[in-house]
Amino acid sequence: MGTFWRGLLKGSVTPRDNDSRFLLDVHSRDLPGEATMRRYADDDEVDLVIVGAGAGGSVLAQRLARRGWRIVILEAGPFWHPDEDWVSDEAGSHHLYWTQKRIIGGTDPIELGKNNSGRGVGGSMIHYAGYTPRFHPSDFSTHSDDGVGADWPLRYEELLGHYERVELELPVAGQDWPWGHPHRYPFSPHPVTGAALRLVEGAHRCGIEMRVGPVGIVNGTFGNRPHCIYRGYCLQGCKVNAKASPYVTHLPDALAHGVEVRANCMALRVDIDDATGAARGVVYAREGEGGRTLQRAAAVAVAGYSIETPRLLLASTSRRHPRGLGNAEDQVGRYVMVQGASQTAGRWPDELRMYKAPPPEISSEQFYETDPGRGFARGFSIQTVSPMPIGWSEHVLADGHWGRALREYMRDYNHWATIGVLNELLPHPENRVTLADETDPYGQPVARMDYTLTDNDKTNMAYSTKVITDILRAADAQDVLIIQRFAHLIGGARMGRAPEHSVTDADHRIWGVPNVFVADGSVCPTQGAANPALTIMALASRLAERMAGGDPVEHYRAVRARRIPISTRSRR
Amino acid sequence: MTVDLRSGAHLPKLRPGSQPPPPDWLPRQRRGTTPQMIGRYPDHDVFDAIDTWDEATKKVVLARLEPPGPLRFFSAAEEPALRAFCDTALAQETEPRIPVAETVDAKLADGRLDGYQYAGMPDDRDAWRLVLRGLDHTARQAYRCSFAECDTRRRENIVREFAHGRLVGGPWDELNVPRAWSVVMRAVLSAFYSHPWAWNEIGFGGPAYPRGFLRLGGPGYEGPGVREPFEKPGAVNVDPVREG
Repeated sequence: MGTFWRGLLKGSVTPRDNDSRFLLDVHSRDLPGEATMRRYADDDEVDLVIVGAGAGGSVLAQRLARRGWRIVILEAGPFWHPDEDWVSDEAGSHHLYWTQKRIIGGTDPIELGKNNSGRGVGGSMIHYAGYTPRFHPSDFSTHSDDGVGADWPLRYEELLGHYERVELELPVAGQDWPWGHPHRYPFSPHPVTGAALRLVEGAHRCGIEMRVGPVGIVNGTFGNRPHCIYRGYCLQGCKVNAKASPYVTHLPDALAHGVEVRANCMALRVDIDDATGAARGVVYAREGEGGRTLQRAAAVAVAGYSIETPRLLLASTSRRHPRGLGNAEDQVGRYVMVQGASQTAGRWPDELRMYKAPPPEISSEQFYETDPGRGFARGFSIQTVSPMPIGWSEHVLADGHWGRALREYMRDYNHWATIGVLNELLPHPENRVTLADETDPYGQPVARMDYTLTDNDKTNMAYSTKVITDILRAADAQDVLIIQRFAHLIGGARMGRAPEHSVTDADHRIWGVPNVFVADGSVCPTQGAANPALTIMALASRLAERMAGGDPVEHYRAVRARRIPISTRSRR
Repeated sequence: MTVDLRSGAHLPKLRPGSQPPPPDWLPRQRRGTTPQMIGRYPDHDVFDAIDTWDEATKKVVLARLEPPGPLRFFSAAEEPALRAFCDTALAQETEPRIPVAETVDAKLADGRLDGYQYAGMPDDRDAWRLVLRGLDHTARQAYRCSFAECDTRRRENIVREFAHGRLVGGPWDELNVPRAWSVVMRAVLSAFYSHPWAWNEIGFGGPAYPRGFLRLGGPGYEGPGVREPFEKPGAVNVDPVREG
């Protein structure tokens, strides 16, 4: 569809191959399909078992279920019943995060849990803010063009159709996007708050352009999903069903097409047949039960995200894979990345009450690519954020205040507005996920993540923090508070052209294993300065297309032969 | 002392010594309980809106007003240092106090941890115990008494050194002190600012489902239209005789 029609038809074009929006209940937030969901027996060899019901796993399941695949998703966390399980409260939302123990090391350890790891059906998109930018075309060839990072084994153009399709399914609301590959969004931008308005004024005075969106939050109505009510609790799980997550965008349709989501089931090992070298299924434990069960499957897709995916692959040792699945070249867990996410807050004379409206409002990708004048490779994006009281107290503490001074700044909460950055931190082989000596209650070794910033990362972070501080000063902020922090996970099982430097090929298939795929953000060789959710979904959508490429007869033969039918068409 | 709220003259970083003014410029709280009855929004009480909250949220928030139970994780010997530290870190020297010590204790007793542990640091539960022993160790070295027996000024001196990661000796040598500060403060702040009394103090609207917000203060909203009808503005203490 051309740009003209996309603009004219804004808000009225809806996805064709996904009925999730109509399958939701208007009066209840529970997934209507849960009670009538198809159930498979453990010894029933399904076509595909997926580990993780998040952004990647859910999209892959929905797509392939529509093609008739018989699919089981194993999810470590609970099957949510949002009306009862989720609350309009910060501390009360602790259970949305992956809070099982992980060890963090390196020179710059990354705090895991509430900011970057989800647990439960829907994954971490249940508590992401809602920003859904695309990667830029330049993200796919940073090694060739910028001399840093890595080149992807695929190009932006191969994801483009899937970006557009997923944007329709979420649906994404925002202004026309001038950066990267310029494009329009299916829904109009949301109204902005007084707090965001101050930040935009400051940015304009600094010569920085900012645009409203892009967010996966319904503006208008979308099937049975209502308009956003601007209550501001996006990070606590959307009780309205306005914010996009696989729970409302893909799982309803997946369930309607025979997918089973088996919640509270922790995958422990991908089971390998030593005779053929192919996977037989996944061994898992049901929470609260002692036993181990093998779910048999013709193919396995691991979608546990950047910490749990490497952990599962490393724990899946067998005679053929003594160092873990896909780890013959010692690549699993390497090149795990986070984004720098410093935030600065400014103070104004008026009450702004930044807690109203979704935290993601306005963003800029003007600094996304390399600018030699800045003294570092690649760049960052700028986004508004709005911490709730506990988040705000951590911000004030990070600026060095406690006791009476902290209380004073906290009482001033309503006068502040906050702006943040996302730095593209570069992939590094020593930033990696490994197995720690300690074990969890299942006897499975816990993950350890080591992270150390490079000089390029530090220069990028310092530069970007100055840019957003300048924005606040230009907007006449009376006082400024700064917090250095990190956000998002990506990488850890990256795709590439050769097994010496990667874990999977361009079709997400683990090198040396015919029927195991990685279907989450851990395959990304670089991360850009964009929030990863949309890209993870688009990658899963593309993967589904490749996996379903074979004709039905070929598919049946392949399933019998325990070989998965990736399309044989050669890409290049 | 009078302060013009618009000027921001009360903000610590804009004042000599980075310390706030004494709270006598703040208004007397007319509605709603706040910690130490200090607040900026004298007519604001989040519970005025309780009829607009959903049941699940109401249950979670109201549970925080239950009388705090006895400590389950910390021992009687650790209790004085725990309470003294929570009071000092949050400047809660008088009643009414938000029961921070009890909330932290319950979190640790139930094993509700945060999903990560620094390599080279003990489990959060052990880190807390070491910190309390460390505070007593430092107080004994500096002032010849336990941390809880120190007066407010001396406690603040010790906590200031803790915040800067400068404490050494005894239990501190088993900890990475700056990371230990981050571990304990994370729990303390979460306990304090999850309590509805703290929301009253800072003028936070509280839970907002299913009601939501209509007036976001964006373009086109000037004057009274910038505020929801149920939002009460901030205020300062004005003496009606002198200034009336």
